[in-house]
Amino acid sequence: MMLKIENLHASVDGKEILKGIDLTIGAGEVHAIMGPNGSGKSTLSNVIAGRDGYEVTQGSVTYKGMDLLAMLPEERAWAGVFLAFQYPVEIPGVNNTYLLKAGVNASRKHRGEQELDAMEFMQLVKEKAKLVELDQSFLSRGVNEGFSGGEKKRNEIFQMAVLEPSLALLDETDSGLDIDALRIVAKGVNELRAAERSIIMITHYQRLLDYIQPDVVHVLADGKILKTGDKSLALKLEERGYDWVREEAHA
Amino acid sequence: MLNITELQKEAWQSFETSGLPTTRDEDWKYTDLSRLQALLGDKWWQVAATETAVDVTALAIPELDAYRILFINGHFDAAGSNIPTSISFTPLASLMQEKPEKATELIQHQPQAPLNNSIIAANSALASDGACICIADNSHLDKPLYILYLNSGGSNHLRTGIQLGKHAEAEIIEQFSGNHTQAGITTVVTALRLHEGARLEHTRLQMEATKQYHLGRVEVSQQRNSSYTLHSSEVGGLLSRVDIVSQLQEPGATSHLNGLFVASGRQHIDHHTRIDHNAPHCISRENYRSVLDGRAHGVFNGKIVVAKGAVKTDSAQSNANLLLSKEAAIDTKPELEIYNDDVKCAHGVTVGQLDKNQLFYLKSRGLSGEEAKQMLTFAFADEILSKMNHKCVRRFVEKAAFAKLPNITDLEGMLG
Ligand SMILES: Nc1ncnc2c1ncn2[C@@H]1O[C@H](COP(=O)(O)OP(=O)(O)OP(=O)(O)O)[C@@H](O)[C@H]1O
Ligand SMILES: [Mg+2]
Repeated sequence: MMLKIENLHASVDGKEILKGIDLTIGAGEVHAIMGPNGSGKSTLSNVIAGRDGYEVTQGSVTYKGMDLLAMLPEERAWAGVFLAFQYPVEIPGVNNTYLLKAGVNASRKHRGEQELDAMEFMQLVKEKAKLVELDQSFLSRGVNEGFSGGEKKRNEIFQMAVLEPSLALLDETDSGLDIDALRIVAKGVNELRAAERSIIMITHYQRLLDYIQPDVVHVLADGKILKTGDKSLALKLEERGYDWVREEAHA
Repeated sequence: MLNITELQKEAWQSFETSGLPTTRDEDWKYTDLSRLQALLGDKWWQVAATETAVDVTALAIPELDAYRILFINGHFDAAGSNIPTSISFTPLASLMQEKPEKATELIQHQPQAPLNNSIIAANSALASDGACICIADNSHLDKPLYILYLNSGGSNHLRTGIQLGKHAEAEIIEQFSGNHTQAGITTVVTALRLHEGARLEHTRLQMEATKQYHLGRVEVSQQRNSSYTLHSSEVGGLLSRVDIVSQLQEPGATSHLNGLFVASGRQHIDHHTRIDHNAPHCISRENYRSVLDGRAHGVFNGKIVVAKGAVKTDSAQSNANLLLSKEAAIDTKPELEIYNDDVKCAHGVTVGQLDKNQLFYLKSRGLSGEEAKQMLTFAFADEILSKMNHKCVRRFVEKAAFAKLPNITDLEGMLG
């Protein structure tokens, strides 16, 4: 089992946002999470990645058998958890490549692997930049500094490709991408699909799922998983919106 | 006109009448010199240097290809200097002997000058040496001129004057350092005059030994279309106060002041800047940052005065401060005095801690909390240093600055 979330409740500033999430993701699976604005999708991904400011009041998150909630954000990263942010922050003055090198080597060190030297690392970076068709010029810039919305998203996928996580959470990585960029990002994600790697994609658009075929589709609304199905569920949502899911759940 | 002996006597009287500045003086509200006597004795101005030998190689910027003028404990060191033939250079001590009327001009105390204080009068009276430099019209120095003021404590009083002729171009790096462990004091005035079309890139590195007091002043007077850029770094010393007084006297003059302080422990660093737009169509840009850790105290005061006739003035000032500990403090104040309507003046001040979202982003990529903090601190400070021309100077400052902050582990890596 890659990830097991049981009865997860989380609040922000005393307001309950996640109201009992249950979610199980097997190794190698791709799950899509869809749901209305403000339903708690980013909150869930932030809680999994370990951002401050969320209080988990009940429930558990188990990742590869470990109690994920007891780990620091960086420990989660070392263990292979990766979040592609919905709104990646700009960090002027911190070099994109340097950040990745520090990240890759920190993870390798904690896994007891040898750190990559400058040459090996540059080779890895160049190969992955090519995969997501990211221009080399982005490598030497500050992290997301002055990047367009779409460029930031592509940079997130590039980072994912370099860091090679076991569990990747993509929070609306498709939003704001043009048609070509969407195809490229999807290609990047598909190349990373592997038996020992699981992916959670948060999205509003069925379109993404044409490019990246999910194994499971969930509907998250009002802080709960209201429905789980296969890819056809996404099509149905696209057609009919979310109200019927809510009605069905309340019935 | 007074002869030099009389002038110095008069300056000393002026100092004795007013005494050291106190925190009751508006300009010295946050900078307390009252411990100076306790540290150095009643005659703080004439304390002998310690026995520690000054290690020039250890203190100087490695790999800097530059001309050099060396002062050790307030005296010119000819053997350690390498003066370009294309400039006229006289040590102030010689000038006082040989051409006292010229020396008088440089060390004359001007009570009307902005940010005047009694330390300047004391410096006029006590200056033992300094660099007197003229760079001729149209002359372009092919390498930076590195003026290195080293001391092994005690009291040092220096006065340097540099004149750039019309359309002359030069780069000057002033550095103040010592490697002793005793209390000491440096007072220094650097007077710069840029004639029409002259360009000066001025790096000023205050890296005094840990118990040194540093009281400095830079006066810049600029004529038509001249351009002055300052890179000021304050890293060393126990207490440091530097006043930058920039006078834009004729149209088309441009002044860029960039400053960085990095202070920790109980360091106190005060920068007052004063830019007078006295003529139309002048540009000034000011960008100061501080990183304060431990119980360090920073002071920034940036005053810009736009005179009545100085229309089309274009001025912008920004001051950003990063407090790494709860005990660190900054007093910052921009001051604008504008006497006409046709001007563009912008200013902004920020005081804050590291950005939480940025920290989380870095940690989510696998950096430890400590590494993430270091990386963001470095990035914040380096924004100022990235404007420096010479990589080796920048590296030198970065190393000195970040050596003070808790375990920067991979400086070379961060420098990219
Ligand atoms: N720091 C916070 N302070 C107050 N409320 C918050 C905070 N973070 C999230 N919320 C609230 O929690 C709810 C869920 O937010 P979240 O970002 O998880 O939604 P989302 O499902 O990702 O929405 P979207 O589709 O618009 O991205 C929202 O109502 C939001 O306003
Ligand atoms: Mg969201």
